[in-house]
Amino acid sequence: MPGVAVASDTVTNGALVPFSDDGTRDSLPIYPLNHGLAAPISRLAISWSRGNSLRVSLFSAEPSSGSPGAAQSGVGGKVVEVKLGGGDPEITDAHLRRIAYGSVPPFALLQSRRSELSVLSKAPSMATTYHIDWWEHVLEYSKEITSLLGGPKSPPNAIIEDPGEIVKTGEDPTCLKAAWELMEIFYADKQSQAWLPERLVDWLADYDSLFSSTQETIHSKLVDFQKELVNIQVIEDDARYWEVMSSALSVGWLDIVVKMLRLHGSYQLDQLSNRELENGLVEALAVLISKMPRNRPESPAGKLGECFKSKPDFTKAWERWRSQITKLDCSPFWIQCDNHQTREGLKNMLQIMLGKTENLCMATCFWLELYVSHFLYIRPFTMGIESMYNLAQKCIQLKPSSRTHRLTGLMIGIIGENTEVVLAECSREFGPWMVAHATELLTAGSEQAEILLHDERFNLGGISIVELHRLAYAQVLSSHALTWQIAPIYLTSCMKQGMGLLENLLYRQSVQHNDMLLKNIEICRLYELDHISSNIMKVAGVYHWKHGRKGAGVFWLQQAQDATRLNRIAQQLFDSVGKSISDESFKQWEGVIELLGSESKLAGGLEFLHKYRDFKKSLQQLSSGKSTDAARQATGSLILLMKNPSTPQRFWLPLLFDSLKLLNWHDCPLLNVSETNLLLNKLQELSLARLRPHFIKPNLPPEAISSIRLALATNLGRAILDE
Amino acid sequence: MQGVGEMAKELLSLDNGTTCSSWNYSSSRLATASSDGTLSIFNFLHPSSSSSSPRSTFKSKVHDGNIAKVVWVPPEYGDAVACVTADGIVSLWEEVAEDSQPLQWKACKTFRSSSTKVLDVQFASFNTLKMVAAYSDGNVRVYELLDPLELKNWQLQAEFQNVVESVSAFGKALCLSASISWNPQKGVSQESSFIIGFNSNTSELNSSKVWEFDQAHQRWLPVAELELPEDKGDQVYAVAWAPNIGRPYETIAVATHKGLAIWNLGLNPDRNGRLPVERVALLSGHEGMVWQMEWDMSGMTLATTGHDGMVRLWQSNLNGVWHQQAAFEPTS
Amino acid sequence: MQTWAKKNLLKTLTMAVLSERQGIHRLPQHKYVDAVRWLPPLSAFDRFAVLALFDSDSDSDSYSIEIHSLQQNPLSLHPLSSWTSPSRISSLKTSQFLQKTIIAASTFSGSLHFLFSNSSDASLESEVSVPEGALHSVPVSCVDLMDGGGECVTVGEDGKVNLVSVGNSTLNYRRLFDSSGLVSYTAAKWASPVEFATGGYGFGLQWWDQRKPGGPVSQFKGNRDQKLTSGIVHSIDIHPSRKHTCLAGGSLGTVFAWDLRWQQQPIILSGAGAGAGNTAVQSISESEVWEVQYDRCMKSNTSSTRILPAMICSEDGILAVIEKGEEPIELLAEPCAINSFDIDRNNPLDVICSLEWEAVAILTRQ
Repeated sequence: MPGVAVASDTVTNGALVPFSDDGTRDSLPIYPLNHGLAAPISRLAISWSRGNSLRVSLFSAEPSSGSPGAAQSGVGGKVVEVKLGGGDPEITDAHLRRIAYGSVPPFALLQSRRSELSVLSKAPSMATTYHIDWWEHVLEYSKEITSLLGGPKSPPNAIIEDPGEIVKTGEDPTCLKAAWELMEIFYADKQSQAWLPERLVDWLADYDSLFSSTQETIHSKLVDFQKELVNIQVIEDDARYWEVMSSALSVGWLDIVVKMLRLHGSYQLDQLSNRELENGLVEALAVLISKMPRNRPESPAGKLGECFKSKPDFTKAWERWRSQITKLDCSPFWIQCDNHQTREGLKNMLQIMLGKTENLCMATCFWLELYVSHFLYIRPFTMGIESMYNLAQKCIQLKPSSRTHRLTGLMIGIIGENTEVVLAECSREFGPWMVAHATELLTAGSEQAEILLHDERFNLGGISIVELHRLAYAQVLSSHALTWQIAPIYLTSCMKQGMGLLENLLYRQSVQHNDMLLKNIEICRLYELDHISSNIMKVAGVYHWKHGRKGAGVFWLQQAQDATRLNRIAQQLFDSVGKSISDESFKQWEGVIELLGSESKLAGGLEFLHKYRDFKKSLQQLSSGKSTDAARQATGSLILLMKNPSTPQRFWLPLLFDSLKLLNWHDCPLLNVSETNLLLNKLQELSLARLRPHFIKPNLPPEAISSIRLALATNLGRAILDE
Repeated sequence: MQGVGEMAKELLSLDNGTTCSSWNYSSSRLATASSDGTLSIFNFLHPSSSSSSPRSTFKSKVHDGNIAKVVWVPPEYGDAVACVTADGIVSLWEEVAEDSQPLQWKACKTFRSSSTKVLDVQFASFNTLKMVAAYSDGNVRVYELLDPLELKNWQLQAEFQNVVESVSAFGKALCLSASISWNPQKGVSQESSFIIGFNSNTSELNSSKVWEFDQAHQRWLPVAELELPEDKGDQVYAVAWAPNIGRPYETIAVATHKGLAIWNLGLNPDRNGRLPVERVALLSGHEGMVWQMEWDMSGMTLATTGHDGMVRLWQSNLNGVWHQQAAFEPTS
Repeated sequence: MQTWAKKNLLKTLTMAVLSERQGIHRLPQHKYVDAVRWLPPLSAFDRFAVLALFDSDSDSDSYSIEIHSLQQNPLSLHPLSSWTSPSRISSLKTSQFLQKTIIAASTFSGSLHFLFSNSSDASLESEVSVPEGALHSVPVSCVDLMDGGGECVTVGEDGKVNLVSVGNSTLNYRRLFDSSGLVSYTAAKWASPVEFATGGYGFGLQWWDQRKPGGPVSQFKGNRDQKLTSGIVHSIDIHPSRKHTCLAGGSLGTVFAWDLRWQQQPIILSGAGAGAGNTAVQSISESEVWEVQYDRCMKSNTSSTRILPAMICSEDGILAVIEKGEEPIELLAEPCAINSFDIDRNNPLDVICSLEWEAVAILTRQ
């Protein structure tokens, strides 16, 4: 980002953690606000935009007359926008938004399933099935989310055809995905609980490369070695060959090890004959490795190792395999093997397979690798999370590290069964998206966690931790122009405060453009927020009205059913219409009048305009022809208008003046006696009104009144004669 | 982590002498004003895209003196701002297109008094538009708009001093500043209420008090005083009433020279009509004058600025303990 | 869970099954897609789409129009050329004229741009524009290019109706009408070289004839009996074989046809009156219908009184074909809005649409 130089270590250490658990923090994170102004800052102003976005105005001190620099630049201040939370160092914003969009359907589906089940589970007989089925829904949800977090897995031990390629460098895995899968393994996937250690082995195989950012890993060693491979003449003479292989073996990347073993020089056709014994030992190890028994239902297709689903079968196979290793270890052939490097290298690998702690410690780079190697070679029968935790403690002691990785804290929290730590780590390291979605996994994990997370707390204003994190995530969504529309999904899943926040969010959307306005109103309609939508429409109505778009203004105020403003507008419209009463520009008003409709009660006095329009039209028709019928019709309209109480007084005179032709109709009088009297009375009222203040003088010739009076008097006389 | 590195972004540069700024309800328009009395308006072209800089749509000298504060009028009454000058004059400006003329900013009302100065004004839209103004003599005036489409016609609805008991008038009060914050609740059923505090030489005036409109008797009543006995008469720098999205109590921040106090205000009055209050936190940070306090739209995070030139963010943790969450330090 | 989520989720789930069958491809763009069109075919083999994009992550070049070529196996879009717009695109149309392909785009700042693309490889060759302020004082609501002609009509909420003639590299424009904001226009569509229709608030439609200046020659207004008042027209289509009928789509899932010969008797195809005592009309959507087009591939009874089948897209994520008296055919039910779509003229089975969640979907119907 141009102009903003935030030191990266400040960033990493001082992540802005919403709603952390620790009340007292030792060091307050301080972020620089880079403004690039020359003069010192004299004052600041702040304003929250939607969600977590804060706008800061920085005003520099008045340049003193002696310092031309600041004055010359002409810049006396800056406005910057700061977005708090959200974002991930490994993932682009666009990809994060894709994740946000993609998580909506699985999240919403899970919520609707929960509410369906909670209805069902009220029947006592259903209570047990609820718990049995629930984790399956959560697992399905979790799988959907996983699929969003990255492309297909590209594990480091995927062997492709290139014989020189040991490690495949495919799409980079992300910590976010690794963290999610870790939680899925421990909380959601109840079916594989029995093979937890094996799942961890797989997990590390997928994500070991991520740890390379903070320390050396087996993955990074493999990658480095692969780069060197082309330059190595005799591979088995290179110490790194053996080192890398034993490392890969220690964490159970069997395919890589076997592939590397087969790169051994003794396999070359020209050497096979004189290195027969050596080759035999290498191959024996390769076979043993590829037949390593694993306590798991199945391996991905093509993977080495033999899988045993049932524990007794596995134990039997494991013992047989170990005895084969011991047998090989004690074999007399070793003495006859004259290649020192090969002998020592192979022997070391045998010790790893025999589970010698020292050798495992040497082969692995950091505690997690050592941890996994324990599951493979020392305690393949480990069960129970408590012993897993103790083992982790032991491994950390054996392989202390100076820098902790993003994933380490989460891992320790999970195996330490500490929900608060897991939440805090999720929040600090992975942000609001993670917490809001991972609480579903956590609550599926244990009843204790469910109680902790769903308990409503007075300190939080009466909401649960789950709700708090959904609100926090909705805030992040709200602060971006393209994601705010999905915030309502999360807000409406909050029992207590979601609707309140949604109302504030909707109120803060601009009404300036129809597309946005209509999307806004649509959300109001879906969640039955009628009072908000009518307020939004009112704001839109006033906006358009004041900005000279009268038709649009009236439309929105009608939608908002804002009688007060419509009545005021009616008064203003009369003024405009009054001015243009006799000229052609009246045609322009037709559109608004169409919009107003004829019987709209809400439009206040505006219905008058509609009748007035009809009257004008019939007068116009009259001017073209001389049909008495048309004249009668126009007269009818005139009487209706004059009788109607909503016809403003100031229109009476212009109306009558326009109708002179009708009043003086030569064929016959068009008004009967009582009608004529009505008009005469109105004229009388007008004469009185003229004396009052605030009377608006119509723009008519001075003789208007007298000519109307004369016409009415003539008409009265003719009408009396007729009757 | 969490993208903090990518989070600060420059939106625009301001002219020399700019003293204050204010964003409208949707954060799509910015009003700024300066020491030479110039008012400027900037727009984001498309409100959803803050990716392009806002454009200047209006710039004109509207006062002779220094404009100290600019406040937007609620959008139900159009696009309008109030400018408060250092001399204590308030003028209302509105953007309108009249009679097919192009869009213009026009002056529609000026509030001025020969004897006293306006220190702060704040608007709230209930059934009508109300404006509270705090004056340098310690008086509070509430004005009401008579016609929802005309910002010209105002009526003085009430005038009172910021004291709980109307005692005999004290000596001439001299107020340096005042801070007003309306209860941001938008429900129509809600009684309108606001909080106000003064920075003056008269201790009775200073403490921040919650005023509520008593519909039955058509008068404003003090329903709570946010001050502990030991802090009597402390000058108030700023107040901010938090949006309430569902808490069973209201939360209000009050800044004095002792620090930043967070108060919880109960919703149910006692027999005397007073609302129960509790100070839940007193926090230190700015070490001096607090200029401005703003709650986010959830009412969970408070942002403040003050004399130390920092922006500070405050939150309550899971145990209800308030603390400083982060700070921003301007650097060139 | 709210009804919306439930309704759309069920749809999403069933659509997942459907999409396997129907050949639906959702192509993420990492940018907001304001509008999408097929480019009129240049050759029988190549196919191109035009996208109006808004990149919220970029500080510069936030707004652009891009031409993408469509490739098969797997179906994908590849950007060919791009033009940076000064502002966000509010309306986008394409046409062929003088052996060139013209793209007309209007912006939120009120400017209008014509892009000419090369007829062999679809690359952008030149651009001419009318600066902001010249045509409209507010965003241009809608533009329409005359089929095979160089005439463009622009309408806006400011109530102005303009005609712009596109020459080889010149532009001439004139104001046909200005309602001074008393009436706002939100949609426009040519009917013939001299006539076009516009739409606006209150489901109003206006019929214009260039030979009769000074105002619309005919007007339709919704009336209360048909519940046709409380909405806005977003899109209009007129079929070349039935120039007297104007098809309009707008708020509340409303789609209706206005036949100039039966002025005040609209034929309601969806929404509005549906449900309330009008069981003959099916309503497939209850929210904004952002675009309507006659479905060029549906063969229908050709009686001239019958309204041809129409395709719509809506805010609640529906892309469907509706026909008077028939069950609507739902082609897509997305969990997010579908903001625009276009039917390929040469392969009317193919439809491209823009999804709210920064993606484009391409459907191949069977």
